[in-house]
Amino acid sequence: MKALAWVLTAGLVVGAAEPPMPAWLDEDRKSLEKGEILPGLELLTEEVPEVPQEAADVPAPTSEEIAAAENVSPEVDEQYLNAYFGARPETFLVDPQKLLGSKDARDRESFLKYHSGDSQVDLFVYLFDGHQAIPSGVREEEVVERFFSEGKPAVVVYYYLGAPQKSDIYVSPLLSDTVSAPEQRRALISSVEEALEKPDALAQIEAFCVQLSIRIYWMERAAGLVKDEPATPVARRVKEEAPAKAESPAVLQAKAWGQRYGVPGGIMASALLIAAGGISIARHRARFRFPSFDVPPRLGGSHAAGIGAVISFGSTTQSPSSQRNDMPNYLGL
Amino acid sequence: MKCPRCVQVIHRGAGLCPHCGFGIAEMDARHGKDNVSLRRLADVAGLMKSRERSKVQGALDDFSRRFPQLFFAVYTGSGKGGGNVRQFGFWLLNRAAFEDVPVDRPNEAGILLVIDPETKSASVTWGYLLDPYLTEEDTFLCLSRAHAYWLEGRFAEGTVRTVSQLGKILAKRAAQARRDPERFERKVAPPAKTGEIARRIREGHRQVGPKTSEVTK
Repeated sequence: MKALAWVLTAGLVVGAAEPPMPAWLDEDRKSLEKGEILPGLELLTEEVPEVPQEAADVPAPTSEEIAAAENVSPEVDEQYLNAYFGARPETFLVDPQKLLGSKDARDRESFLKYHSGDSQVDLFVYLFDGHQAIPSGVREEEVVERFFSEGKPAVVVYYYLGAPQKSDIYVSPLLSDTVSAPEQRRALISSVEEALEKPDALAQIEAFCVQLSIRIYWMERAAGLVKDEPATPVARRVKEEAPAKAESPAVLQAKAWGQRYGVPGGIMASALLIAAGGISIARHRARFRFPSFDVPPRLGGSHAAGIGAVISFGSTTQSPSSQRNDMPNYLGL
Repeated sequence: MKCPRCVQVIHRGAGLCPHCGFGIAEMDARHGKDNVSLRRLADVAGLMKSRERSKVQGALDDFSRRFPQLFFAVYTGSGKGGGNVRQFGFWLLNRAAFEDVPVDRPNEAGILLVIDPETKSASVTWGYLLDPYLTEEDTFLCLSRAHAYWLEGRFAEGTVRTVSQLGKILAKRAAQARRDPERFERKVAPPAKTGEIARRIREGHRQVGPKTSEVTK
């Protein structure tokens, strides 16, 4: 460890040493005085003179030094990890490091609360410093899936204060099916562009949140969480009720009679209907029987000798009675 | 009770018409004395279409359902031996064996409507069971209901009307017979003998006094 510190210190010392200032050669000075050369002429030509470089007396960096040089952004301190990623946040602005002042944090939180009350999709902002990085052991997608699978749909943003272009966006599983990744990306880019137009970090996060809140509205529509209802009240023609006509005394009397006798009248009508129906059914089911008497046979007929009427239907101009084939009773019996 | 030929009133139990001497033997000689196998609807003359026959058959079935003792039969055509429709109906109802009528409904409980398209006439004949309950006027009323239809050649509809009207009349008579059966029994009861009538008259006019032995005591 000490050796590494020595190497780094030495490297910084060597790097901090300034190169020697150029000095005029006598030949060049004479040529300049003669007008043979012009100062700065080399800068206007493509030919680059080969300047012999002296080999730096600095040892080459090791692979460990190169790896360490790439990790320029310090990770979030371990003490804050639990506050960031330990549970579903209770506030919409997650800033355990107190990167924002109390007033600014309160303002951002109130805005995010207002958004939550007005929208079907919550917006959670995890706030980090611009030069910070989320530890590699933390998988942002997993955090979102674990804490935002249930409850109200949410959009989660990892925002870097002062460096909005580093921000990342994630949506809860309820929205991931309906809001595509390119759509999420476009919303983030739009919000970042709004933020970058602002001069300072506080204005940037404010613009970022406002723009993302607007874009979340369109996500709601894409997810079918809101219907196409006019945001502003629309004037509609109210149906004018026709003025009540003055009812005639007969109608009023009938109404009064109905109020007084309606219920018993209805009961009686129902009873009559039931009785009529019962009678009808009884008639349909009725069977008619005749008493049988001993009748002596006549005219040799063993079964029948009842002679009824005979009617002729030959003429369309005469009535049935006139076409009745009847014989006068000559005997008058 | 009338003779089918001379249409004069005959007395109960007359073997032959006392006026014209008509009897079934005369019709048997003309049409045959063997039984004739028939169905209730025998459209021999072909006056009805197939669909119309089913309507008439339905009306006949409904009649049988309402009157468990009775049946209604319809015959279209004229007998081969000639004669008027009234005599033919009398003979047919006595000689017909209806295939689709249960055995518990003999021809005594039958009503036969005969429609003769040649003479353009129709008649109704009934069995002895209905003697007390039907009159010639009743049957005329039923035939009148069908008259307009038959004039137009709509024989099925007219027949259905006839069956329906006769059902109404019989339903009324059945109710009357249930209330006062003696009224209808008197119509078919055998006439009282002359000597019996005289005895009743004498008993009605003479006061029954005490016997002679009781008086002497």
